[in-house]
Amino acid sequence: MKTPVSVLRLPRGPDPNSRGFDPNSPRFIALCPTTVSTSSSGSVDEEEQRLRSELRERFLRTLLLMTDKQVQFDMFEKVRVRARFGASDIDVLNFQVSDLETPLGVQKEALLRCHDVISCSFEP
Amino acid sequence: MLQWSERSPQHWHEFVNHEVCVTAQDQQRFEGRVFTVDPVSASVVLVSIQENERPSVRVILGHAVTDVQILRRGTEETERRMKSVFLPDQTQILSAEELKSRRESLRLWLEKNRVPVTEDGEVLRVANALTISAPYGSGDCSCANEIILARIQSLVESSPGAEQTSLSENTPLSLQST
Repeated sequence: MKTPVSVLRLPRGPDPNSRGFDPNSPRFIALCPTTVSTSSSGSVDEEEQRLRSELRERFLRTLLLMTDKQVQFDMFEKVRVRARFGASDIDVLNFQVSDLETPLGVQKEALLRCHDVISCSFEP
Repeated sequence: MLQWSERSPQHWHEFVNHEVCVTAQDQQRFEGRVFTVDPVSASVVLVSIQENERPSVRVILGHAVTDVQILRRGTEETERRMKSVFLPDQTQILSAEELKSRRESLRLWLEKNRVPVTEDGEVLRVANALTISAPYGSGDCSCANEIILARIQSLVESSPGAEQTSLSENTPLSLQST
C-alpha cells in the first residue's frame, strides 16, 4: 500500500456564506474600485447604460473569440509568454490559461494576474 | 486630468471604430482600430488594419493604458469589416428570401412543438417573453427569463433546419409551468 501524502493545513478559505462577489471584500475594493462608478448625477443615465452594455457585449465577444486560441501575453519587464487562453473572471482580474510556455518549462494550467499583463494578442 | 480607467463610457465610446495609437506602460505603443473598450476594466480591444494580411486582435489591459490618440476616423465600411471578424460569418450573407424561409421553417417547428409563437415583422415572438431575430439561430434568441431562454434555445438547436444533420424528437414544451 502506498504511503498517503500528509495533509496540508491550508489557510482559511473565503466566507462560505457569501457568493464570492462581495463588493465590500478587501480584494474587490483594492483592485476594482471604479468598476461600478456611474456618472455623478444620482439618477442612472439610460444612454450611459446603453453604451456600457454595448461596449461590454463587444468585449465579451472578444473573450469568446480568444477562447482556446494561442495568445501571446506581454507583461511587465519585457516578459513575453505564450499560452492557450481559457477564460477570464468577471472583473478581468485573472486569466485562466493552459500550456503556458515559461523559461522553466510548460505549465499545464495557470492563472495569470491581469494586473501583471500589459497586453495580449492573438489571431482570430 | 483623469486616468483612462476613470473615464466615462461615453468618452470610451468616442474611440470605437477609429484608428488609434495607444500608449501603454513600459513605453509601448500599439496601433489599430478600436473594436471596444471594456467598461469593467477599461481594456482597449484593437483590430489590425492591414488589408491583405490575416487580421490580428490585441487587448490592452485598462490599468496599463496611459494615452489614446485618434489617428484616422473610421467609416461604416470599416465598422462592418471589423464586426465580421467577431461575429459568425453566417450573419452577413443571407438574402431576404433565405431569411424569410428560415423564419418560416422555425416558426412551423416551434408551432409543431406547441410553443406559442407569432410573427412580428422580421422577428418571431415566443409567448410574449422571448424574441428571435435574424438569422434565427439559437444564438439569436433574447429573453429576460433564463429558463425560457434555455428551453427555446435547445429547441431551436434541434430544429430540422439547414444547420442540423440529425432530426431529434422533442417533447412538446409547456411554458405555463415554471
